[in-house]
Amino acid sequence: MNRRHLLRGLFGVSLALPFLESFSPRKAEAGAGDVPPFAIFMRQANGVVQQTNDEPEMFWPSQTGALTTESLNAESDRTVSELSAYASRLLLVKGINFAFPGNGCGHSGGGNQCLTAQKVSTDPVGNESLAMGESIDNRIARELNAAGVEPLTLYAGKKAGYINEVLSYRDAKVIRAAEHNPINAYKALFGLSDLDPEVLKRLAAQRKSVNDLVREQMQSLMSRKELGKADRDRLDLHFQSIRDLEIGLQCALTKEEVAAMEVMSPDARSNDNLEKVARMQMDIIALAMACGTTRAATIQIGDGNDSTEYYINGVRQKSFHKISHRIDSDGSEGPPIEGAYLLHHEIDRIHARMFRYLLDKLAAYDFGSGSLLDFGVAVWLNDLGNKYHSYTDVPYVLVGGANGYLKTGQYVDVNGVHNGRLLGTIGAALGCKNAAGGPLDDFGDPELPKGMLTEIIA
Amino acid sequence: METFSAPSSVMRRIPTLLRAGALVLACLLPACVGTIGGSSEDQAAVQSIPERSAFPRLTHAQWENSVRDVLRLEARPGFSASFTGDPLGGVFDNNEAVLSVTPNLWADYQRAAEELAALVVSDPAKVDALVPADEGQGNEARARAFIETVGKRAYRRPLTGQEVDKLVALFNEAPSLIEGDPFLAGVEHVLSAFFQSPHFIYRVEGTREPRPDGLIPLGAYERASRLSYLLWNTMPDDVLFEAAAAGELDTKEGLRTHAERMLADPQARDVVLAFHRQLFDWRKFEDLYKDPAVFPEFVPEIGKDLVREAELFVEDVVFEQEGGLTELLTSRTAFVNDRLAGIYEVDAPNGAEFGKVELDAEKRSGILTRAGFLAANGTARASDPIHRGVFVNLRVLCARLPPPPNNVPPLPPVEGKTTREIVASHTGKGTCGASCHGTLINPAGFAFENYDAIGRYRSEDNGFPVDAADAYPLGGGMVNFSDANTWSQLLAESREANECFAKNWLEFAYGRDAVVEDAKLIATLGEASRTGMSVKELLLELISSDAFSTRRPVEVAP
Repeated sequence: MNRRHLLRGLFGVSLALPFLESFSPRKAEAGAGDVPPFAIFMRQANGVVQQTNDEPEMFWPSQTGALTTESLNAESDRTVSELSAYASRLLLVKGINFAFPGNGCGHSGGGNQCLTAQKVSTDPVGNESLAMGESIDNRIARELNAAGVEPLTLYAGKKAGYINEVLSYRDAKVIRAAEHNPINAYKALFGLSDLDPEVLKRLAAQRKSVNDLVREQMQSLMSRKELGKADRDRLDLHFQSIRDLEIGLQCALTKEEVAAMEVMSPDARSNDNLEKVARMQMDIIALAMACGTTRAATIQIGDGNDSTEYYINGVRQKSFHKISHRIDSDGSEGPPIEGAYLLHHEIDRIHARMFRYLLDKLAAYDFGSGSLLDFGVAVWLNDLGNKYHSYTDVPYVLVGGANGYLKTGQYVDVNGVHNGRLLGTIGAALGCKNAAGGPLDDFGDPELPKGMLTEIIA
Repeated sequence: METFSAPSSVMRRIPTLLRAGALVLACLLPACVGTIGGSSEDQAAVQSIPERSAFPRLTHAQWENSVRDVLRLEARPGFSASFTGDPLGGVFDNNEAVLSVTPNLWADYQRAAEELAALVVSDPAKVDALVPADEGQGNEARARAFIETVGKRAYRRPLTGQEVDKLVALFNEAPSLIEGDPFLAGVEHVLSAFFQSPHFIYRVEGTREPRPDGLIPLGAYERASRLSYLLWNTMPDDVLFEAAAAGELDTKEGLRTHAERMLADPQARDVVLAFHRQLFDWRKFEDLYKDPAVFPEFVPEIGKDLVREAELFVEDVVFEQEGGLTELLTSRTAFVNDRLAGIYEVDAPNGAEFGKVELDAEKRSGILTRAGFLAANGTARASDPIHRGVFVNLRVLCARLPPPPNNVPPLPPVEGKTTREIVASHTGKGTCGASCHGTLINPAGFAFENYDAIGRYRSEDNGFPVDAADAYPLGGGMVNFSDANTWSQLLAESREANECFAKNWLEFAYGRDAVVEDAKLIATLGEASRTGMSVKELLLELISSDAFSTRRPVEVAP
């Protein structure tokens, strides 16, 4: 059986023989188009060090236009130079703004908008505010995944409780919880990979038997006449969540990788493990895309106003949030942190390197006609622009052309376009449609001007 | 400025018009709450309680406890530690609005159900606890008896004949699906189905005939569940099931009698602690950083000590003193070990173990003058009046503060001044931050200036005398206080703090947001609390309410 057929099997058609060896990076025989395009979104908090009235440009290249490894390396003081090896697949988009004001807490309002392009709720407000519509990963999953298959929603770092998850919205004011523990995420997706085929077959039959009964019970509850809307939505979501076990290709990480996740499990939220956890989550995301498990994934780095204390040159720093404010306080009181913008820049680079790890992983899945990275697009985004926590010039860094749809190898400044246009164009690149059946050109709040971001389309 | 209101019991989800009215009133007459919903007396009974979910999902803690009790295990299985989490839903973890079965959680439930079932059948003692002994009655009869008894606990009500038949069919199908002993295969398969059933995952409440006033009385088993999840955070015990069957829960008196029995059980202590843990954010205590150069005594173990101290204090107030909010805010009883004794300037009566002491009446009052709250709302080196003030406003007074501005410039460091003077110069009267900070936040926080970053008492800050006196709008006028002791006393006597306490208990007890229909009950309970009602009595009153034992007919979704 060649890989082409194996991969086909992932997307709905059950295979006669489960493929039980570990799906590790390898060269495959498939042609282009075997992997439907996908999108991965990695979110950084607290803005980046880019040019403001009192701080120099340390993020973007000095010139827009074509990007080469050499041109990026020549400006090694800029954060994006960390991605120079991917110059030809890189698409730097400056000039993206959030369309709507926050509602009392810049972090919360930015998090609400960065993947939704929706208004920020008035109730609740402040750091509890929520987005007034779904996020792009949800849209992609809803439109392009098999029914009931969620976008993958992962997290790295602690949850300090001020703001936790910010990224993935099912609907207005309905945020999706993110999984912070890699072993849980892995088991949920690939936990049966090491089962014997006969055992797996029996398990599938057992599950079918229970599921049939549970579905019947659910339908009986849902057929009640006196159901309020919230309860109906609740039961619908539950009902859609029940899936039978499909015995298809089994995907797995190596035993060593899984064992490391098991070891990490009790401390997955600890400050010092953030980067390790992020890399484990990225291993899972890359595997999920290689196996066609889902078409959209998010990974949030740190909590809402990332209070992680990152290590720079081996020294544990003050919380990123404080550094981003340039003072030794989460509030308004505190002495300046000396050289804070340089520390912030180093933290930007830490994020760039975490993102590069994801790119390396995706690039390592070689499908002959191209690597996994070429079939999809990985996006490194922020929920704020700069140290002023602004909603303008919010950086979006894209890598991978979504199977040739996006025009990579360039740095564009789109000069103040709302982020719904960018997110919609990414959705369109994957195959999402507007209501009329055309490419998705109206993602986000209905008040926003419609249209594609043509500058980034090949 | 109309952007803030004085402390009030005004809640989220109150219709905009009503809320706007409350804001205007509040600005004219601070603390004029209780007016919302005050006219509900002449409204129909059906409008006196809000509509709510008929499918509140078990929290992860409730799932653990319920599994333990269904299976008669000695301890909680611990499987939920790997369940996908729930989004934040306000102060408490049991808000029905955010508890959904998502695909990820469904997969978690499924895996846990299968593992639990396999765990049980692998241990003959566990099987014997669930399945009647083989006395020649035949496997079909044994299976049926097992399904009826364990199923009643799993669904928290007797199963219908049809439900039993379907489960017997599932039992009989099992040997073709699961290897090994056919009878055990049936037990395993049915147990797995129980824990994946919506009747286990949700506290399903069905429709019943309305009373003459339009409200729908809950069924006896539904009442039993509401009672046990409220007071024990788990499913009903056998006594409660028998009471439901005997109709003892059909009256408010009957509910109260059983509630009193349950409150005397140690499981009720865990629930009372869970309320205070979440309301006062004790989780934060374990993750505090204090500059070791300034506070060498603040060793890492102190985090856990602060939580334990708070737990012992609340247990003492609620269960030993039979107290309420007043005692919570004013009791000077404390529990310290040798690490905490230094902070309170007392001797540790039991050394490394916790022992009971009475604190200096001049220096300490209730829970807001304890090291946990003060340190959690202190910076690495200094007191933090803004955060202390915001906490008291939000969690103790239920004040609706407007959100802070987006870009707050840092406070300038000023030499030779107190923390209070620095904060006031930036946010207080006469500054751009005057409206909220000057009136509400700063005074509520300045009251605690006698306590440093770890909660030690001090008379001087930065070499200057501490000034903890201020004024705050309570009860329709400005009230003055001299320090945290008098401030705590004023809070304990205030309508605002007592209504806030009642509102928080209502949200926790009912597992939902407080809404406009609850205003009258909150006002009543607040007044009772203000005049000395205990926490236990407050709980009993919540259980005696129509909002507890009836449902409002649902507006059907289109």
